[in-house]
Amino acid sequence: MVGKCRTLALLFTFFICSLCQGQLVPVYSFQQDDTLVKRKYYNDALDKKKQLIAGLQKDNIKDYKQAYEDMFEVVENLLISPRSVTEKTADNYIKEIVAKIINANPELKGLDVRVIFSRDMPPNAYSIGDGTIAFNAGLFVFLDNEAEMAFVICHELAHYYLNHSRKRLDKYVEIANSDSLKKEFKRLSKQEYKVAEQFEKLLKTFVFDIRRHSRDNEEEADRVGMRFLKKTGYSGNGFVTSMRLLDKIDDTALFTTLNLQKILSFPAYPFKERWIKKESVIFGALNPDDATGLTKKERDSLKTHPDCSKRINLLIDSAAAISGKYFQVDEQLFKQLKQEFIPEIVEEVFKSENIGLNLYLSLQMLQDGKNLPLAVYSIARDLNLIYKHQKAHEMGLIIDSENKRYDEGYNLLIRMLYRMRLNEIAELNSNFCSFYQEQMKNYEGFATEMDKAKENVQAHQ
Amino acid sequence: MKKLLFPVALLFGALSISAQKMTVENVYKASPRNAAAIKEGSEVKGYYFFFISDKIDKKTNEYTLRITDNTLKILKDVKFQDSKHVYILESSFNGTDLIFLFYNDDENTFEYQTYGTDGKKKYTYNRQLTKKEERFLETTYLALDDEEETYKGLYPIEGSGFVSVMPSREDKDYTFQVDFFSTGKRKQWTYTPTEGGKKFVGDYLGYHNGVVYLEVLRFGGAFDQKPDSYILGLSLETGKKLFEKPTDSKFRFYPASLSLVNEGKAYIYGEYFDDGANIMKDKSKGFAFWEIDEKGVIKSEKYLSWDIEMAKYLDVTSKGKIADFGFMYLHQFVQTADGKIYAIGEGFKKSASALGIASALLTRGRGGASVTKAIVTDMMILTFDQDFNIKGAKVYDKNSNKIELPSGYDFMSTPLLGKLLKYYFGGFDYAYTQVNKDMTSFSVCYSDFVKEKGSYKGGTFNSITYADGKFTTDRINTKSDAKFSAIYQNQQGKVLIMDYFKKDKRLEMHVEKLN
Repeated sequence: MVGKCRTLALLFTFFICSLCQGQLVPVYSFQQDDTLVKRKYYNDALDKKKQLIAGLQKDNIKDYKQAYEDMFEVVENLLISPRSVTEKTADNYIKEIVAKIINANPELKGLDVRVIFSRDMPPNAYSIGDGTIAFNAGLFVFLDNEAEMAFVICHELAHYYLNHSRKRLDKYVEIANSDSLKKEFKRLSKQEYKVAEQFEKLLKTFVFDIRRHSRDNEEEADRVGMRFLKKTGYSGNGFVTSMRLLDKIDDTALFTTLNLQKILSFPAYPFKERWIKKESVIFGALNPDDATGLTKKERDSLKTHPDCSKRINLLIDSAAAISGKYFQVDEQLFKQLKQEFIPEIVEEVFKSENIGLNLYLSLQMLQDGKNLPLAVYSIARDLNLIYKHQKAHEMGLIIDSENKRYDEGYNLLIRMLYRMRLNEIAELNSNFCSFYQEQMKNYEGFATEMDKAKENVQAHQ
Repeated sequence: MKKLLFPVALLFGALSISAQKMTVENVYKASPRNAAAIKEGSEVKGYYFFFISDKIDKKTNEYTLRITDNTLKILKDVKFQDSKHVYILESSFNGTDLIFLFYNDDENTFEYQTYGTDGKKKYTYNRQLTKKEERFLETTYLALDDEEETYKGLYPIEGSGFVSVMPSREDKDYTFQVDFFSTGKRKQWTYTPTEGGKKFVGDYLGYHNGVVYLEVLRFGGAFDQKPDSYILGLSLETGKKLFEKPTDSKFRFYPASLSLVNEGKAYIYGEYFDDGANIMKDKSKGFAFWEIDEKGVIKSEKYLSWDIEMAKYLDVTSKGKIADFGFMYLHQFVQTADGKIYAIGEGFKKSASALGIASALLTRGRGGASVTKAIVTDMMILTFDQDFNIKGAKVYDKNSNKIELPSGYDFMSTPLLGKLLKYYFGGFDYAYTQVNKDMTSFSVCYSDFVKEKGSYKGGTFNSITYADGKFTTDRINTKSDAKFSAIYQNQQGKVLIMDYFKKDKRLEMHVEKLN
């Protein structure tokens, strides 16, 4: 409910504040994390790390210790950074769903878990292995109901409950320290010919074995997760629809397809078609997968997760037998958080210094008429940053390169940024700022970005 | 100055790519020619890296030919086994197909491999070299590191195949060989001029309307100072000679290149001399532009002399010496979509060499150093209208370089000295010019350095870019924490920056845009 009120207040602000004079308002009110909660999560994770290391046996202790240090680095990077969400409403919401699952499944009681939202864009959820489970906002925004969310959490809890991280680590350490592998390495080190071929073969066997275990673990987590879900009162269909979503997640977008030519064309500075004109490419008919030189069977063997269709088929009957609700905690808040997380994700992309992607998402927000002050401000800020980096010949460090796996609109924007000349970036931003000047005059930071854009134009005159 | 060496025999261990950055770990050594840009015209479409990926037996290696796009994304790894004596020499892209030239120095063979857009091998063509040919090539084509890609021998014919022009030797006669390798179907032809002279030097000018144009110098003997110059037209279909057009008209004309300008008409251009002049010694009179058709008929001729037409825009003496700039070596001509033609030149002068004079005094004239040194000066861009009337000239300042000349160079003509500076000494700072596909902009790239103490002191990579009717300049500092940094061609307006961190055995490459 709090979130709903805030959005209404924001909309009101955007349309009314242009009437106000002198009082600058923020372009967006981002979620306010609770630093105490964040600190507590971090300390809990630190205690768990110490406990894990203290309990290690002498065998291969160096390898295990290193693995736990590496694991904790991932945990630390998440919990100490602005990526983790500890804002009360969102944090309490996910806690409530987790509590519902744990309360319904006595075997999970006493499990030291920290399930948190992260502001990361990749549509993913993962159990790190120390009890920390991250639920990326990039996945949450595509879900349709709590039942789907509950299944994803059940699946990750199952990984932790089944101790999959430790088992995977055991497998790694066992193989890496096995006499047979050491013997094989020793033999290869003495050979002069066909060393690379034999090494590749050995490596494949090792990697394929690990990945096969990983896929087995996923199937086991699905089965056990389904068992957990069954007792929660959520619909088993949450499993089926979340799997179907994952299956087509690469073709799913947060916003409508970007019309770059329209959104970045201004009366005084029209869009230039040469910015996005397609070029001939070498090996244009080549499938990117072929570059690996692996066969289809080998590529399949490298997958960490089984195909979603296979996962659905294995459990579809069990899922159908679970009748339940799609929402139990708060449907309105679920929908509210979906909307709130979008600008949070977009801003997190900016903080992670992927300025090209932040610009793309901000342009899409602007096109869809969502979070307008933030979108306009972000675009001006991004173009100024791109100008600054380009001036120092460092733009390549903050912009992705075109990739067949990206959507067409994003590739076009990347192409455009790499085609535009420095003065054109300045001119475009200056014209963009002038176009939105009236609407943005009461928002913090916009005037500064506009001044920068105009200064950049001046530098070329 | 220019140190645009391309890397090298890479032994790839691990590789990671993020944004436009590629990091290669475990790079143990580097040698020339094993990596280069794959270009379509002047546009870089990708890169290849050729390295030994395994040793199969005493005589055989497994090689990997790694092809990336211009953002360094790996497109294809072609693995094959061959003799350990195999090297890669060059590549070319004709808009649809790729060709790679391999050399086996044990069996004396050239092997040309062509690949289609799907990355699959199409045809392989072989050429067996004679011992004499091999020895001759070792002192010419094979001796060159190709670091500036000046001596390229493979030229793309869009959608049809590739033309190769390479020095050759027939008994006691030195000549050149033209080959065509089709990519549409298995087809190859060869042309070698042998009649009427003892020595032939052939230079590929271009292709237009089914005709391959070459500039040929025919020498009567080894010491001939006045070779015949003619344009040779070969049929792309059959390889048969279509025409031989002498370039002696009102003047002696020595074309340097061919460009399709003024709605697809073929123009050849270069310096011209007085009729009967000795090009090895005499001064050029200026620049000439000829329109030539596919039958070798000259449709129009235009001559711009130093002392009349050029003097209007430059302070030029009658000998072609421009005040402070020296003489001009013309690197390239570019015509933009608006019809204007731009000539990209670089200045050079002759000056007394203190080292050479001291050496001459000490050795009573028998010293190895010349009493003359060459000084490479500034960049210059000349603007012409479509009728080749000069319309403007602008000098772009850069630091001068001194090149000590060997004994015997004191009395050499300045045009010939310019050619030697470019092709033999690698003395010019000019690197390359790239034009975008719709011919609306181009970038001229060259190296320079900053010698004054300040925030930066060291080598720089510079560009002059023409876009939207304006010229802008840019500079990238090349000195970094890396053991060495180098800058390579990418798409027009972009460069590939490579930093090699020797201590970490790490090679970092990222694409950046010129301003």
